[in-house]
Amino acid sequence: MEEAAKDIIVRYETLLKEMWSESAKYLGTLSTNLLVERVVWELSQEYPAVRLLKYGPEGISCAPMQVNEEKSFNDLEEMFMRFVTRYVSILAKLLGHERAEEIRKKIITEFGGAC
Amino acid sequence: MVRLVTGIKNLDHILEGGIPAYSINIVSGAPGSGKTILVQNIIFNCARQGVKTLYLTTISESQFKMVRNLEKFRFFQDELLGDKIVYDDLGMILRTQGASQALQYLGDLVKKYLPNIVVIDSIKVIRDLFPDEKNFRMFLFDLAATLSVWEITSFLIGEYEEQELTRLSEFAIADGIFHLYGQEEKRFQKRYMRILKMRGTNYQQGEHLFQISSNGIEVYPRMKPEGEELHYEIKHGRKKFGIPGLDEMLGGGLREGTITLVSGATGSGKTLLALKFLIEGASRGEQGVFVSFEESARQLQNTASQLGWDISNFLHSGQLDIRFISPVELDVDKHAFEIMEMIKEKSVERFVIDSISSFENSVSDLKKYKDYLWAIGQVLRKQHVTAIFTSVNENLFSSLVVSKSQISLIADNIIFLRYVEDRAGIRKVLGVLKARGSNHDKDLREYEITSSGINILGKLDKPDMLR
Repeated sequence: MEEAAKDIIVRYETLLKEMWSESAKYLGTLSTNLLVERVVWELSQEYPAVRLLKYGPEGISCAPMQVNEEKSFNDLEEMFMRFVTRYVSILAKLLGHERAEEIRKKIITEFGGAC
Repeated sequence: MVRLVTGIKNLDHILEGGIPAYSINIVSGAPGSGKTILVQNIIFNCARQGVKTLYLTTISESQFKMVRNLEKFRFFQDELLGDKIVYDDLGMILRTQGASQALQYLGDLVKKYLPNIVVIDSIKVIRDLFPDEKNFRMFLFDLAATLSVWEITSFLIGEYEEQELTRLSEFAIADGIFHLYGQEEKRFQKRYMRILKMRGTNYQQGEHLFQISSNGIEVYPRMKPEGEELHYEIKHGRKKFGIPGLDEMLGGGLREGTITLVSGATGSGKTLLALKFLIEGASRGEQGVFVSFEESARQLQNTASQLGWDISNFLHSGQLDIRFISPVELDVDKHAFEIMEMIKEKSVERFVIDSISSFENSVSDLKKYKDYLWAIGQVLRKQHVTAIFTSVNENLFSSLVVSKSQISLIADNIIFLRYVEDRAGIRKVLGVLKARGSNHDKDLREYEITSSGINILGKLDKPDMLR
């Protein structure tokens, strides 16, 4: 796997973890994981690597992705972006746009503007 | 807020626009209370708008019967089945493989069909499959989470008794609860709906009548007088009867926007007096509506012609509208609502209910009857409609009882008609008991009904005839 791809995975893992824990405050872990499951399912046809995301009661992890050698830098970047966009858009419907926006801003602040 | 518009007559009005999207709604009631039809009506209405439903039954045989029973309703549309409405069974997998497999199966179906609505019919059957409350509660919790995350508005149908509604765990997870039940009134088997809970939106509380016909479900919202003080502009104009003596007694006619109770014994001429009031308005270009529970439009037209009043042109032009509701068919819950809607929709200036006694006789709950009249009265006043309610006084020779049930309290004006004995004959007298804002005539006056109309005669000169 390219070094750049590894960097992306590490960077987005931080973002996803933050997103997961912020969502869990409002939705609970069960619903948060169901939401991740939904987005994974929706993107899996286009980006099979998204199935490698690991999630459960303890949170979300990209660790299994790091051993996958097929993914290119561009694919990963696009996949994560699509994942985050879709995740936040559903979250907005579930929690209301105001609260979803708060979560999004918080993530941006902590992640340094990557989403 | 995103809402699911049910398309059910008046239900969206009660819910201030519809059911909040992604909510979990329990539809409860005894067998035959209309739960399944209500939900089916909603999903077919939604399907026509492109909304997709996954309908999960818990006893597979019932799917066939259910679809067959639906065919008689106008909302049913064959071509929506399989495309916008998908039926499947959840009961078998629950019974044979347990709750977690059932949830997995539900998840797979959701991924396959991506429905906007999921119906489970019945959640009560699922409850009975669980050995204990704890496991059922966990199943419900997981179910609720799954449905929410997939942005699904759900209906969980169940045969619950009213006393169960606050006790069982399914009602804690529900965002909305619709409870349907029946009640015997004097003549009809009535169906009512109460919304016991609806998170995220205001809704009209109390029991709402609903009917099931080939049109599907039609809801008639509960009518109640508004709690707040009624503010309305007081008009100073007068609305005449076109009966010179009577208009003089009233100080120039009825004050615009007031309610008048015309009370009298049978045959005393209440209906004619009220009809004359509308004819006079029609001749002045004012729209009038006569709601009759006693005589049909044709009967009234014949009666009017015997007094030299030709109302056919007014009826033809729509200036005068006579709505006859047979007292046998009179259903106050429904018709009171329809009357109010009619007053709001049409620019009515003069309005008659003949008689409120028929209204009263058709309802077993006196409180409800009073509420309905108050509510109608409020609408009339807000719309500045000048109205007459006739009321039957069962005691032919007594003027003391104006109306039963203190309904006279809603009237701004009271005109009473009564008989008096005079030697071997009977004469008719009329009096104005009350005329708000008018220095009205306090005398009793004799009147006659002839082929040329109603004539007010002189003062009653023999007070001893009054008993």
